Amino acid sequence: MAAFVPPGAHRPGGNNSNQSPSAQQHPPPPNFGNSPAALADNLQNMNLNRPHSAPRPSPFSQPPPPYSFSGPSPGYRPGSQLMARPGPSPPNAITRPMGPPSGALPGVAPGRPMAPPGTRPPPPGSLPSSMGSHMGLSPRAPAFTGGQATAPPPPGVSPRPLTTGILTPPPPGPTQAGPVSNGPPVGSGPRFGSPGGMSSSVPPPTGPSSPSAPAQVPSMGPFMTGPPPTSMPAAPPFSGQPPFSAQPPFSGQPPFSVPPPPAMGPPQGSPFAAQPWQMRPDQMVRPPSGPGSAQPPQMYGMPAHLPNQSMTSISPGMAPTGASVGGPSKIDPNQIPRPIPSSAVILHETRQSDQANPPPPATSDYIVSDTGNCSPRYMRCTINQIPCTADLLATSGMQLALLVQPLALPHPSEEPIQVVDFGETGPVRCSRCKGYLNPFMRFIDQGKKFICNLCGFTDETPRDYHCNLGPDGRRRDANERPELCRGSVEFVATKEYMIREPMPAVYFFLIDVSMNAMQIGATAAACSAISQVIADLPEGPRTMVGIATFDSTIHFYHLKRALQQPLMLVVPDIQDVYTPLQSDVIVPLSECRQHLELLLESIPTMFQNNRTAESAFGAAIKAAFLAMKSTGGKLLVFQSVLLSVGIGALSAREAEGRTNISAGEKEAHKLLQPADKTLKTMAIEFAEYQVCVDVFLTTQSYIDIASISVVPRTTGGQVYYYHPFSVLSDTAKLYNDLRWNITRPQGFEAVMRVRCSQGIQVQEYLGNFCKRIPTDIDLAGIDCDKTIMVTLKHDDKLPDGSEFAFQCALLYTTLYGQRRIRVTNLSLSVTSMLSSLFRVADLDAQFTCLLKQAAMDIPSSPLVQVREQPVNTCINILLSYRKFCATVSSSGQLILPEALKLLPLYTLALIKSTGLRPDGKIDDRSFWINYVSSISTPLAIPLVYPRMIPIHDLKTREEEGSIVPSSIPLSSEHISDGGIYLLENGDDALIYVGGSVDSGILQQLFGASTVEEIPSQFVLQQYDNPVSKKLNEVVNEIRRQRCSYLRLRLCKKGDPSGMLFFSQLVEDKNHGSMSYVEFLVHIHRQIQTRMT
Amino acid sequence: MTEFLDLEAQDGVRMPWNVIPGTKQESTNCVVPVSAIYTPIKAFPELPVLPYSPLRCRTCRSVLNPFSIVDFAAKLWICPFCFQRNHFPPHYASISDDNLPAELFPQYTTIEYASPEEAQRPSMPPVFVFVLDTCIIEEELGFLKSALLQAIGLLPGHALVGLITFGTLVQVHELGFGAMPKAYVFRGSKEVTKELLLEQMSFFAKKPKPATGVIAGVRDGLDAESIARFLVPASECEFAINAVLDELQRDPWPVPSDQRATRCTSTALSVAASLLGACVPGSGARIMAFIGGPSTEGQAAIVSKNLSEPIRSHKDLDKDSVPCYHKAVKFYEGVAKQLVNQGHVLDLFACALDQVGVAELKVAVERTGGLVVLAESFGHSVFKDSVRRVFQSGEHDLGLSSNGIFEINCSKDVKVQGIIGPCASLEKKGPLCSDTAIGQGHTSAWKLCGLDKATALCLFFDIAKKDGQDAAMQSTNNLFYFQFLTYYQHGSGQMRLRVTTLSRRWVAGPGSVQELIAGFDQEAAAVVMARQVSFKMETEADFDPIRWLDRALIHLCSRFGDYQKDSPSTFSLSPRLSIFPQFMFHLRRSQFLQVFNNSPDETAYFRMILNRENVANSVVMIQPSLISYSFHTGPEPALLDVAAIAADRILLLDAFVTVVIFHGATIAQWRKAGYQNQPEHQAFAQLLQGPHADADAIIKERFPVPRLVVCDQHGSQARFLLAKLNPSATYNSDAPAPGGDIIFTDDVSFGVFLDHLQRLAVQ
Repeated sequence: MAAFVPPGAHRPGGNNSNQSPSAQQHPPPPNFGNSPAALADNLQNMNLNRPHSAPRPSPFSQPPPPYSFSGPSPGYRPGSQLMARPGPSPPNAITRPMGPPSGALPGVAPGRPMAPPGTRPPPPGSLPSSMGSHMGLSPRAPAFTGGQATAPPPPGVSPRPLTTGILTPPPPGPTQAGPVSNGPPVGSGPRFGSPGGMSSSVPPPTGPSSPSAPAQVPSMGPFMTGPPPTSMPAAPPFSGQPPFSAQPPFSGQPPFSVPPPPAMGPPQGSPFAAQPWQMRPDQMVRPPSGPGSAQPPQMYGMPAHLPNQSMTSISPGMAPTGASVGGPSKIDPNQIPRPIPSSAVILHETRQSDQANPPPPATSDYIVSDTGNCSPRYMRCTINQIPCTADLLATSGMQLALLVQPLALPHPSEEPIQVVDFGETGPVRCSRCKGYLNPFMRFIDQGKKFICNLCGFTDETPRDYHCNLGPDGRRRDANERPELCRGSVEFVATKEYMIREPMPAVYFFLIDVSMNAMQIGATAAACSAISQVIADLPEGPRTMVGIATFDSTIHFYHLKRALQQPLMLVVPDIQDVYTPLQSDVIVPLSECRQHLELLLESIPTMFQNNRTAESAFGAAIKAAFLAMKSTGGKLLVFQSVLLSVGIGALSAREAEGRTNISAGEKEAHKLLQPADKTLKTMAIEFAEYQVCVDVFLTTQSYIDIASISVVPRTTGGQVYYYHPFSVLSDTAKLYNDLRWNITRPQGFEAVMRVRCSQGIQVQEYLGNFCKRIPTDIDLAGIDCDKTIMVTLKHDDKLPDGSEFAFQCALLYTTLYGQRRIRVTNLSLSVTSMLSSLFRVADLDAQFTCLLKQAAMDIPSSPLVQVREQPVNTCINILLSYRKFCATVSSSGQLILPEALKLLPLYTLALIKSTGLRPDGKIDDRSFWINYVSSISTPLAIPLVYPRMIPIHDLKTREEEGSIVPSSIPLSSEHISDGGIYLLENGDDALIYVGGSVDSGILQQLFGASTVEEIPSQFVLQQYDNPVSKKLNEVVNEIRRQRCSYLRLRLCKKGDPSGMLFFSQLVEDKNHGSMSYVEFLVHIHRQIQTRMT
Repeated sequence: MTEFLDLEAQDGVRMPWNVIPGTKQESTNCVVPVSAIYTPIKAFPELPVLPYSPLRCRTCRSVLNPFSIVDFAAKLWICPFCFQRNHFPPHYASISDDNLPAELFPQYTTIEYASPEEAQRPSMPPVFVFVLDTCIIEEELGFLKSALLQAIGLLPGHALVGLITFGTLVQVHELGFGAMPKAYVFRGSKEVTKELLLEQMSFFAKKPKPATGVIAGVRDGLDAESIARFLVPASECEFAINAVLDELQRDPWPVPSDQRATRCTSTALSVAASLLGACVPGSGARIMAFIGGPSTEGQAAIVSKNLSEPIRSHKDLDKDSVPCYHKAVKFYEGVAKQLVNQGHVLDLFACALDQVGVAELKVAVERTGGLVVLAESFGHSVFKDSVRRVFQSGEHDLGLSSNGIFEINCSKDVKVQGIIGPCASLEKKGPLCSDTAIGQGHTSAWKLCGLDKATALCLFFDIAKKDGQDAAMQSTNNLFYFQFLTYYQHGSGQMRLRVTTLSRRWVAGPGSVQELIAGFDQEAAAVVMARQVSFKMETEADFDPIRWLDRALIHLCSRFGDYQKDSPSTFSLSPRLSIFPQFMFHLRRSQFLQVFNNSPDETAYFRMILNRENVANSVVMIQPSLISYSFHTGPEPALLDVAAIAADRILLLDAFVTVVIFHGATIAQWRKAGYQNQPEHQAFAQLLQGPHADADAIIKERFPVPRLVVCDQHGSQARFLLAKLNPSATYNSDAPAPGGDIIFTDDVSFGVFLDHLQRLAVQ
């Protein structure tokens, strides 16, 4: 990556001077070469993972086939990736960049390889984004004026706003810094071009959005000005091109991501045209308005009304707006802000011009170049500048917090995190605060000393590590040493960091074989999943496995090879459990593979006639824990019925819970709390011995997730919930979930701490872990999907304009027994300006925090209160903005900061979400709470605001570029009775079939000619027709993006399932809550009231 | 003597006093208690088995017997015990003087009934639950496995087999589970009750638990299917057992070098007892425990795990410094009680160089009538051959029977004090019970969970008649009657009732001494004294057995000896009594009294054997028999004296648990020179062969199989012989030893003992 940076710098120039081609060529090769290889090396696991790797797609498609497909993984080959990416770029021309790649995908292998690497469809997106950014500066203005003259009169401003730097940049803009900085803004343009503008900085969606659906465009339009939307069509793009001369954008792209450049070369013109110009118009618009202040640029202003404000302002009914005038009724729902998903890939440098670069939205597809700050995948701050005082922060109404995902999956094209080995002395650390050496520690005194950026202490440089300083005051070797130039780096831990030998990879499977589990087929499903997944366990003598089954007793299996058959050892005492053998319950995989397979095959038949209905889950995990105590490891539990006997038996609230529906208003939230402390106490002990528990709940009845989930939560594990379990449709998901659970990148026996510069302290950690001392959190297991939220608190005033650093250190053991310290650094500038805070606010992070806090409050507070909380926060933020940053505008308008313009929508979605809905089933809500507690930022948004795509017209829209068609707003107005829609939130997916769907389509997609004929236990199958294939591709792509094998459910109109589907449409008026429009009006009124 | 043997041959009974002192006072003066040693199911070649139910007296429930007075005309009989007149039932209508039912034949004082109803009931198969210790070295485990496999091979096909292994934990193997070897694992440190066991082993999985009542067996709430999971017919379980035994490993839990293995013997036995209690209560079943070391875990640990703490010795027990001893004994008393209730037997095979806790286990083994074998190793012939004997059928089978109930009826002036022997009181109180108790007392019925054809009980009686009543009674009748009823499950599975009815004459008043002497069975008396003194040593604190025995002997001699007062030289004893002092002398020196040479385990072992063997065998234990072989004469009994040793002789000592073949120095030399292999010295070969053949004959019929020691004079193993000999020549004797051997002891010799006895008796 390092290499890239320089090219990046050139680009600007290049862009201007048409050098783009050369630039493109250069960058691509390096990136490609690197990234693929790196991936392969680093994240073997990842490859294996279902969604990402090529193989996966197939698996997903249907339960049975999936397994066999593991083979395909090779798809990863760098070559293939290259192919894929380039592919996208060329196609970009008119349709989205994706277009071509997608085409490739259908082809099969090539397409997938692409997919696997990046969680999301990077290739296509990336190009456009990069384009956009470059465009930003010089070209834009022209472009805008030319292309869409009408809309954005004041072009000049645009550049500044975009850049974080703000004022100064504009002039330099053209120069290196400027362009780069602009890049991001441009990106924003694109988005905004699409339905709703996101934060200015992030520009991903543009490409796709515009081309994707005309429908969207219109929606966008409203916000913008009338014209832009119209421009959407093909014509505008072209017009855009001219501005493109702008091609610079292209050149710009290359620098960022290698992939784009190559592809880009030829197709450039056309593709760009489309994207860029759309973008521009938006941006253009803004800039004009906000030239004066930094803020304006970022905000998206309503055309007519808010020339001044850079922000988008929506004046609902109240105020006359360009778009909507008059009362609420007149608000055009198509014009209100909505997320614009994009498949375009954004190229992101974490620092530019020695300043932190606000990251792209978490939900977008981006490729990061680590230029000093860590990738936003690992750590994301809710505000990308740090308020200098607590008061300033309080005034903003926003929250300051970090979202840390230390093992997050990188994009395949990104440079892998480098491993640094300091030998026996171990990593260099500050002797006072023990902070790890990072790029922001300043070396002085000819390099003999260094100043800690966290505590300010001056340390002696270790003799071995000494190096002279260059003229720029940096160490001469700074660029060769990852720890001095990268935001994320991994140190090899020395003996000092180990209390014992790094633990082996231990996997213990615990399977419920009680009567119910047998009858619903859960046991068989679990056994088959395990037996297939065994092949995915890491090879080698360090991999140990054990297995046990349980009903009202616990059955261990002695797997020692010498035995002709495994020996079953039953532990009947479930009040006071023990392990039946000292060793041999957990044995090296290589010694017991055959026994294990045999055993897994025979378990379902062995317990076929089991009449024991009771389940001793608590005792079983305790017993398994005792067996694992000496090493620690992963405990994977498959549970199907309520824990009813033995340790921690849940009986008291059985009656209430049985029904699995909320028990009236009074004390309802009590059922969302663990029944007692037994399991919590156990879980803490588990964590102490490094046992990480994952629970797979395959059930058809109430299982009290509130109580059970305490165990995985405390031990760094995860809850999987299959309710109601269906052998037919859930077996494949169970397998894929298990497979991903085991193969994803992960670590054991981890300890994590976040350090901050002086002036701010960590207040609290939230997530799945166990905390024994205030500063650290213990994670018996940590994997790439787990995110920890860290709330922060000022304890001093920070000097304005200084840099403020966060450092997260994660000490963990890899699957292969290496002890590592992953250090991620984020350094942000301190500001005293409220407007800056709003400008650089990170919507996704902010919302994720809101979400997590709400989830945390649900079990302990009355629901009404919990529901009020986010709405108040939202209002406070907007009020603060309105009050202090948008004073000029008329009071009749609702003015939203550009970066946070979707906050109301998400807030509304949040209070309608499963967890906050009063009518939700108890287990569903508990699961939701638990799911949220460790959810990553990219998945948080779709959880509350799912993605909905029409799938009845897949074929006709095939040429659009991205595999996944663009989404449509979650409003029933967009549902036609003749349509079929897929709605997914990263975990569940609903397929809704309207009442009057063409039977031909039904036949093609479901193999049934009428809705009634489709079985309610739905399994997506691939039929031999293009539409069906396409649908499977789409679903597989989504699975890959989400790292989750979605639970597909079929919803039919007029059915309870249909109601379920409509309940997901958060923009509608439902669940006793307002519609989106009403909500905006509500907020607006509130703000008005408070203003006066 | 022979008349006593004849009586024994007819009824299996021997009594020290065959003429009974007729009053309480007299019986007290007789020193040796009025008692009987009875072998309840002694094998008689011509024992009649009657295929019908016995006739019982309406009031005292005694069974019709040859001593009943029958009125053929009135068709009624008079019970000799309570004098109740009972009518014969209709099917006895044809009874007459020359048409008597077998039970009235005078020679059939012992007879057996097998009622037809019984014959029709499905007989319960015998049940064996093997409890194996796995905290033993691999080699021992190998021996144990092969012994066990052999044993199971010898079982009848229909016998039910269960298997429990233990070490740190207890594993109950579910042999009936087809899919794979399966075991329930219980923690060794925790008590497992029957209720817990029923619940935890899924006995109610298919059939709901009955709301109330005792749950036990098929009849009381369990379904046969779940019982069949753990108890499997021997003919069907071979594969399952093999699968378990093949892979049976040492207890896998690590043992620090300064610690003993964690062995939860008591928990395992308790689990076994509960399992049987749940599955087959009231039906004959044996728990066979194979134990290879001390119990260190659970309720009845006998020693801590720490090796620095030695296992208790007699000294420790005397000082009462072993806190866990009483706890353990108490625990096993509980187990014994449970087993007795269920009618099940605990057999103990203890094979270890060190102690394993037999002393603590004794109570459970003895009350249930279990077998006990103590050996050094599972590879030792004492163990291997004993196990084979248990299961083998044919001429020398043990005649194992089970689930017996023993009852007594006797004349109204006689009361029962109790039984010392392998049985447990059923607490059946009644007018028959004496106020004082010896052994299992305060009852007139006992449970014999396990019994075999050699099992011998020692019953103690109390003569209740006071002197004043003499005149009246004497005129009418001077006979006492005893009736022993043994209801038991025969080896065939059938229930049988054996009835032995005895009559003994009593005498009282002056002049009765000679009659008493005439009826004195000194062997029986010695055995009764041995059992009694052992029992007292175990139960009475600060009991001085030597003093007690000496006083008894002196008392006896002064009462029944012929002497002039204060003139020791005039003292003489009737031949009926003459050997008794010698028995007492050897009893004083025996392992039953001289415990300090033995561990508590060994002592317990010897006493358990003493308490279940008949008179002849017990006498051998008290005073071993010695046979001498030489060129000059044929085999001849020799005096148990160091003087019996001679260089040119071979001695064969039978001390019951050991059999010693002792070669005199010369013989040994010749043997080592290999003369026996030379044709011209065939006589020598035959001489050498003689004692071996006799020893084999002894070993063949004995259980537990005795340890055979072959040794030479002056060899180290010779101690087995020397320890038993009368030390007439010791290192400080003046006269040179006749046989060239002396014994290093300060013990008095028999001669000195007799001198003192005479002196004291005449005072």
